[in-house]
Amino acid sequence: MGLLSIIRKIKRKEKEMRILMVGLDNSGKTTIVLKINGEDTSVISPTLGFNIKTISYQKYTLNIWDVGGQRTIRSYWRNYFEQTDGLVWVVDSSDLRRLDDCKMELDNLLKEERLSGASLLIFANKQDIKGALTPEEIAKVLNLESMDKTRHWKIVGCSAYTGEGLLEGFDWLVQDIASRIYMLD
Amino acid sequence: MEEELPPPQSDLSSPNPSSSIDTTLQKKHQAMLDRLSNRHQSRQKTATTPTTIDSTASFLFKFTESKRSIESLLNNSPNTPDPTLLKSHLANISSSISSLEKLVAESSYFLPPYELRSSLKCIENLKQSLENLNSQLLPKKKFSFKNKSTSKPNPGNLNTNPIAPNPSHIPQSIRDSPGIRNKESQTLSKNFKNFKEIGEFTLSDLDSCEVKLIGCINALFVNKLRNCRVYTGPVIGSILLEEVENCVFVLASHQIRIHNAKGCDFYLRVRSRPIIEDCGGVRFAPYCLRYVGIEEDLTEAGLEEENESWGNVDDFKWLRAVKSPNWSVLEESGRIGCVEIEGSGSIETEVEIEKV
Ligand SMILES: Nc1nc2c(ncn2[C@@H]2O[C@H](COP(=O)(O)OP(=O)(O)O)[C@@H](O)[C@H]2O)c(=O)[nH]1
Ligand SMILES: [Mg+2]
Repeated sequence: MGLLSIIRKIKRKEKEMRILMVGLDNSGKTTIVLKINGEDTSVISPTLGFNIKTISYQKYTLNIWDVGGQRTIRSYWRNYFEQTDGLVWVVDSSDLRRLDDCKMELDNLLKEERLSGASLLIFANKQDIKGALTPEEIAKVLNLESMDKTRHWKIVGCSAYTGEGLLEGFDWLVQDIASRIYMLD
Repeated sequence: MEEELPPPQSDLSSPNPSSSIDTTLQKKHQAMLDRLSNRHQSRQKTATTPTTIDSTASFLFKFTESKRSIESLLNNSPNTPDPTLLKSHLANISSSISSLEKLVAESSYFLPPYELRSSLKCIENLKQSLENLNSQLLPKKKFSFKNKSTSKPNPGNLNTNPIAPNPSHIPQSIRDSPGIRNKESQTLSKNFKNFKEIGEFTLSDLDSCEVKLIGCINALFVNKLRNCRVYTGPVIGSILLEEVENCVFVLASHQIRIHNAKGCDFYLRVRSRPIIEDCGGVRFAPYCLRYVGIEEDLTEAGLEEENESWGNVDDFKWLRAVKSPNWSVLEESGRIGCVEIEGSGSIETEVEIEKV
């Protein structure tokens, strides 16, 4: 029995997409969502639980679920999986030490059957920090090339501070989802 | 991988180092209510479901009723060896749990995070009890829950490459971030002032060291420190601390997250609420560092103002409205007072000034 499936049925309107932001804590998920939405990013408290943002993006309405990433609640992520159209996996490209943790959580996530149809955007965030790994290096560490062939995915370097890369990433994600689920319109 | 939630706090008057426990509790409680109402308001802007206190109350009422009836089913299994009867009893419980889960899902749009998490936890527990009952009554397990969060990832499904990466191998194989590592009983200082480009910095595996970082950096990672004293200038992004014991930290940053800290004192200037997770005996006080030029560094980092966030600690392992026992405010009489550090003059390299 999937959580949230029922509201999804009620809520799903045309041109609506449900996007789940996940990744380790401190990777910049909340900052990215606020930045995309044009909100102030100067004071952000770490997320306990989750935030939901409804954003108009091009001709679509994005329901973005920004879920806390700290260990205590990673086991709750699964409660948000139902009916996810797009997954955004955010990596702190300057946090070299936790990359193995990051890879493990991503691998686990991608095994979820309920997410198997979701388009996957990987943001290699914090590119503004000197010494951050490049998207190519992140792709190598996460072993993205060996991902299931049926998965639609893309990695984009970005900075939630400068905004660089965010639109490129979201444009791809939204187009990819649209071409899958609204093909029949 | 089941996460343990903290046990209920049974005794509110349990020893607490803070003298004015009542006022601290009240303040915390008020802060919590304010925070919930803020979240509440911000959610009203974005959520598509109307949000009212009423709906939370009515959710809690329905939830509690239904939970009680499930528990009574769990505790009153028919006393019969007939497997058909037993199965239908179990299936009945299972479908009640599903409905309860549905109720939580429907309400998740407006529930405050605390209620949401405790409801989810409660559902997990009910599923676990059912699972136990199931194996007890029908040892040959005819059905089971697929979605239990305790279930281990299914090996060899979908993905063909091995899950377990070589932990210490991956980061090293790429490159190492700048930092100070593997030192014992030393005084270590680094001056970032006048650096054209500053990045992240790592402190790891230090024992009995004194560390002084002067100037601004973008991000700081602190990992495996024991018996150390760490003084840093402002960090423009965030600080992440893991596995630290018996240390004193004087830190300024936009965000500070502390995991697995034991017996440490934190003197913080922070823009948002400090987070602790899996910590014990950690105490907090305001930032108290001085070096030549610290004012301009703080201003550059947007940390010139003391907004008193240092005392608004969130314990992500403590879901209750009463204050977490894992942290406390360090009494003024026990604080170290203002620490004055000197730029050692060295810019490029880390200098080991003296053996302690
Ligand atoms: N330098 C830099 N810092 C960032 C960037 N994105 C986020 N941060 C900082 O990283 C910390 C964690 O961000 P947050 O959005 O709370 O992460 P979350 O836990 O994934 O939601 C905050 O201090 C942010 O200011 C970025 O692109 N560059
Ligand atoms: Mg967040």
